[in-house]
Amino acid sequence: MATPVLDNPLRAGLRIGRTPEPCTMVIFGASGDLTSRKLVPALYNLARERRLPGGFSVVGFARRDWTDDYFRDLLREAVNANSRSGPVDPELWASFAQGIQYHRGSFDEADAYTSLAERLAAIDAERGTGGNRVFYLATPPEAYPTIIAQLGAHGLAHSNGWTRIIIEKPFGHDLASAQALNAEVLSVFREDQVYRIDHYLGKETVQNILIFRFANGIFEPIWNRSQIDHIQITVAETIGVEDRGGYYDTSGALRDMIQNHLMQLLCLVAMEPPALYDADAVRDEKVKVLRAVRPLSVSDTVRGQYGPGSASGRPVRGYREEKGVSPTSQTETYVALKLFIDNWRWAGVPFYLRSGKRLPRRVSEIAIQFKAAPTMIFADTPLNDLDPNVLAIKIQPDEGISLKFSSKTPGQPQIRPVTMDFRYGASFGVTSPEAYERLLLDCMLGDGTLFTRRDEVEASWALLTPILQAWAEGPPQPFPNYEAGSWGPAAADEFIARDGRSWRRL
Amino acid sequence: MSEAAIDINAIERELRQMWQEQATHPEAGGQAVIRALTLNLIVRVPDDAWAEQVLAVAPALTAQHPNRTVLVIDRPGSATELQANVQALCTLTNAGRTQVCGEQVTISARGAPAGQLASLILPLLVPDLPVVLWAPGPQPFAQPLVQRLYRLCDRLIVDSTTFADPVRELAELAAFEQTANGAPAVSDLGWARLTPWRELTAQFFDTRPFLPHLHRIDEIVIEYVAGTHPNPVAALLFVGWLASCLKWTPLADAVGIEGETIQLYLRRPAVGVGPAAIRLVKVELRPVALAGVEGLVRLALRAVDNQQAEFVVELTGDSGYACTRATIAGANPIERTATIDHPALADLLNSELRLLSRDRTFAAALHLAGGLAQRLALP
Repeated sequence: MATPVLDNPLRAGLRIGRTPEPCTMVIFGASGDLTSRKLVPALYNLARERRLPGGFSVVGFARRDWTDDYFRDLLREAVNANSRSGPVDPELWASFAQGIQYHRGSFDEADAYTSLAERLAAIDAERGTGGNRVFYLATPPEAYPTIIAQLGAHGLAHSNGWTRIIIEKPFGHDLASAQALNAEVLSVFREDQVYRIDHYLGKETVQNILIFRFANGIFEPIWNRSQIDHIQITVAETIGVEDRGGYYDTSGALRDMIQNHLMQLLCLVAMEPPALYDADAVRDEKVKVLRAVRPLSVSDTVRGQYGPGSASGRPVRGYREEKGVSPTSQTETYVALKLFIDNWRWAGVPFYLRSGKRLPRRVSEIAIQFKAAPTMIFADTPLNDLDPNVLAIKIQPDEGISLKFSSKTPGQPQIRPVTMDFRYGASFGVTSPEAYERLLLDCMLGDGTLFTRRDEVEASWALLTPILQAWAEGPPQPFPNYEAGSWGPAAADEFIARDGRSWRRL
Repeated sequence: MSEAAIDINAIERELRQMWQEQATHPEAGGQAVIRALTLNLIVRVPDDAWAEQVLAVAPALTAQHPNRTVLVIDRPGSATELQANVQALCTLTNAGRTQVCGEQVTISARGAPAGQLASLILPLLVPDLPVVLWAPGPQPFAQPLVQRLYRLCDRLIVDSTTFADPVRELAELAAFEQTANGAPAVSDLGWARLTPWRELTAQFFDTRPFLPHLHRIDEIVIEYVAGTHPNPVAALLFVGWLASCLKWTPLADAVGIEGETIQLYLRRPAVGVGPAAIRLVKVELRPVALAGVEGLVRLALRAVDNQQAEFVVELTGDSGYACTRATIAGANPIERTATIDHPALADLLNSELRLLSRDRTFAAALHLAGGLAQRLALP
């Protein structure tokens, strides 16, 4: 249930958006990393920017034996360490912390939910939160079904206000498990109560893709097969698996990055204009893209796993030497794949996607490479020396958009590529909010546009599950096959070179 | 340059040369420099003290709205004097980031007729970019240069907190805005300073159960800093805003003054009775002595009939914070602390420069506040 837009006459012409109604956010897994690194800093920054209503409350739900005060102190330290606005402002924190409570319990303990329901009712009475709740599942994915079932069993899925649930990634590990999880969630909650989070969609530059495409008249006419040669989407990380080795070894790059983040970027860059900017209209168009993707086969993919090498000038170990990783692991830390979208706009245009760990630079971008000039009239420059036009949408770290085109070299007959740059930081001079701030606020306001719908998740898994199966059944790979700190396996370069193209040098 | 030597072409040449030098000799550290222009900003100041204030905010303006600034120091005097100089304005950024630069032309004049100044300013404007005229200080509408230029501008920015005769000038501002009807759009930095107060007030009523009380308000008390001479413009604009949003209209004899307190009477639609029924809203604007801050100090909205409700926003002891408190029918008050920084001049300007067209909310608030001010200004 989306909150009906209140007819608050004082809202007209105000320069910030509506504030949500007072509500309580219950964070399951409150002792975990996500809570202290992302969620609470995001909530605090929202409060700091006057985006949260008075009465907003947080209940941390976890197993450890902590008191409210201890929990508050811990969160305060977490905000100090992780907030983009620096250490907490004591005055503001005092007011924000009044609304924080800790609720001890294990996820499968029925009594803990009975007492949670009582606590939430007490908060409603004391702080005016009117039965509005957000349940945030920041736990390992194994705990999701238990928590969802318990919330249902204790009548917590519905209240006299609104109730919403945010589910972190990974949402399933293949099509069957994603469908099973959807079935469990939807046996307790309605789809419009469910907010599957992909923090990539909370990034300003990702949202800007739609603005760029649909608020400018000049790009849409060239955004198709007649003008575009191919599209590359890259999400490169410099980090290895850090301390997530145990989890990552059961997952891999295809599940961890491609299925969610890269597929989302693909949808945004390839989708048709939605009829309006609303949650279902936008998501309908995204699902249509996923459904139009031609089924993938293993020959459309390249896998890699990093071996020992270096990162930022320091030697680092190989993937198989990481903590929690099997020494004979067959898990991929790099994936490149090529796909086609069989619709009128994109037929015949290849989309190259790649993502990997321990690559030389942290960079995410979408590059649209246009077709070359059809003929060369400038005799001194051979046609194949000309760089094609490239429109690059940079998502991180230097958010912005650049367009490469050819220009005459002063005083000489030569032609050189030059770029026209738009940089977010340079044009707006304000720091962008963190992805989680935007997403948490959207959820509290009942706007699901930037969250993933059930059919979207399933369509994406349906596309990739056959690859996962074929990999699992296929012969073992000669891993590791790329050095940490390099741009991935040589096979990936050959893979794209076969089409007469090359990866962008980033 | 003396009067005879001011040469528009020379200024343009100097600007071009400046960018060429930047391109061939990048700043230390090899940073690339980007010249970016999003608007023309003409600033008319009466003296050097004002010019210094403008120069102090220029870097922060460049960071968000790289522009060509034409700063005109329009001093009075008998002999005509004119000088011009040119400089690039670059923002300081983190090492490795690209620097963004705008341009600034300063025209220093004494006793120059407005027509002569305008003939220098107009050719300096970059074509196809919006033109904003900022006229800080008292009596902006009495300045010949402003009168001469405003029709050519997309936006005129004044600051009601610097008015010399605040109530009278507020009435003038309102009349001007109405006549201009969006050409140019008008901005008041005094209004911009009210934004956080408006946000915090509006936020009470985003909460569904509180919304009905908004239509039952009977009393408003606004306290503002008295300072050396009281400027009730902010408080009047705030009342104007509430009244225009809530369709309240001033009574014929709407104003009264008791000591230093201004009393205003408006009528609002009554709730739950016949369609023609009205009720009275009583407003008090009180100056209070408080050091170190400007503008509003506290505001309280009260519904007293039937169920009592009170909504208060007030500055707390420490500067930079406000406490908001909603109390309904004697239940536990719902309180929170929020930041309400005293905004820097550059932030206020930036927020106004972001607007592309007439701010209709402001226009409606100003119209109402102007009407009240006119009655207050009557002898």
